[in-house]
Amino acid sequence: MIEQITTAEQPASGEQQPTVALPSAVLGRRGLERLDLLLLVVESLDLNGGEAMLWSLQQLGLQGQFPNRVELWKRRCHNPLRRATRRGQLSSVDTEALIRLLCAMSERLYPLLHQLLSTREPDQLNQQRWTLLDQRLRDLIDERMNPRRGAVQRLLMPDHSKVIQRELVLSLALAAGPGGVDRLRASLLDPTP
Amino acid sequence: MFNLSFRYDQTAARLQVEGLPDFSAGQAEGVIGILSGWKLQLVASPELEGKRDHLLALMSTVLPYARHRLSGVSRSFGDEASAVSIAPDGEGHQLLLRSSQKGVEPLTLHLDDAEFADLVRCLDSLRLDPRVQVAWDLPLNQPLPRQELAEQVPIAQRFAAPLFGGAALVIFAGLGLLLPFPGSQDGVEQPVESPSTEQEQASS
Repeated sequence: MIEQITTAEQPASGEQQPTVALPSAVLGRRGLERLDLLLLVVESLDLNGGEAMLWSLQQLGLQGQFPNRVELWKRRCHNPLRRATRRGQLSSVDTEALIRLLCAMSERLYPLLHQLLSTREPDQLNQQRWTLLDQRLRDLIDERMNPRRGAVQRLLMPDHSKVIQRELVLSLALAAGPGGVDRLRASLLDPTP
Repeated sequence: MFNLSFRYDQTAARLQVEGLPDFSAGQAEGVIGILSGWKLQLVASPELEGKRDHLLALMSTVLPYARHRLSGVSRSFGDEASAVSIAPDGEGHQLLLRSSQKGVEPLTLHLDDAEFADLVRCLDSLRLDPRVQVAWDLPLNQPLPRQELAEQVPIAQRFAAPLFGGAALVIFAGLGLLLPFPGSQDGVEQPVESPSTEQEQASS
């Protein structure tokens, strides 16, 4: 006989993170590109994404590391695909902070990610959502990325972009939740094939 | 009895586990240390239930598959002898569950990406729940080997750069051989005449 039934309410992935020792993950070029691109998708999904990121950083206890938008932008500029790119590697502490920020944002946007990925949603409505995401992501890529790079051009190709966008949204969905941080970190540390 | 039940809810998946604290291991009352059963409900699918081993098989198949999908690697996990196997299926995923009872046909479930993400979240919640202190012995999340990632790149794309480089080297080497040697007028090297011994003697 079951005497006690409780519904698990897991804390958000970021809430308990600052107490955990930060592993030293220094990302390679591909990892940096992917991390920044995933953050760009978050901004495409959330019109107020920039502010939401700062708010999430405060919630994660990382406001000392990223006190304002400029500091966040400077870290993200380590992505070699950016128009204004910074040389050198992103430090392991900054990398870990950005990974946790991304996972916290994914957790926040999970209902929207779920709608985009679900086949049970009305087709027309889902098509409109994907079109909106595509439009915003293209605008952000045009604004911030270097269009002479082949990887950026591939992101803007109509044939490739749909597949890539779906993969990115699925990546965000799998990065959300309690096990998302570890999974995403391991994925970003993958070697270049 | 201290039979406990914890539930992990997502939009398209609900996982419920039941068990008892393992007092011999010094566990407190509100902790499951001995898992007696579990139930999984997925939208538009029959309810699944089983014992600890079945849940462990589900976790050890689905979680590594999710890890690989995050890196863009689509490959199946679990073989014909496994209780659970999962494979990519178009834009979704096919989960195959084999019963340990004889005469029961395997159950095939088709999950879309949203249902799959919900299932992964439920399993993650269970795995990381401090109230469930069961040794799962699951593989850790690690970067994938280079070869596994390379297999996802189409062969043409994988070999394009080395082939182009090799071809360029051969062409430039061939062109280099066609160039005349330095110091010759008509492209034929003139032998350098060394003074003979007689001339040397006459001059001395």
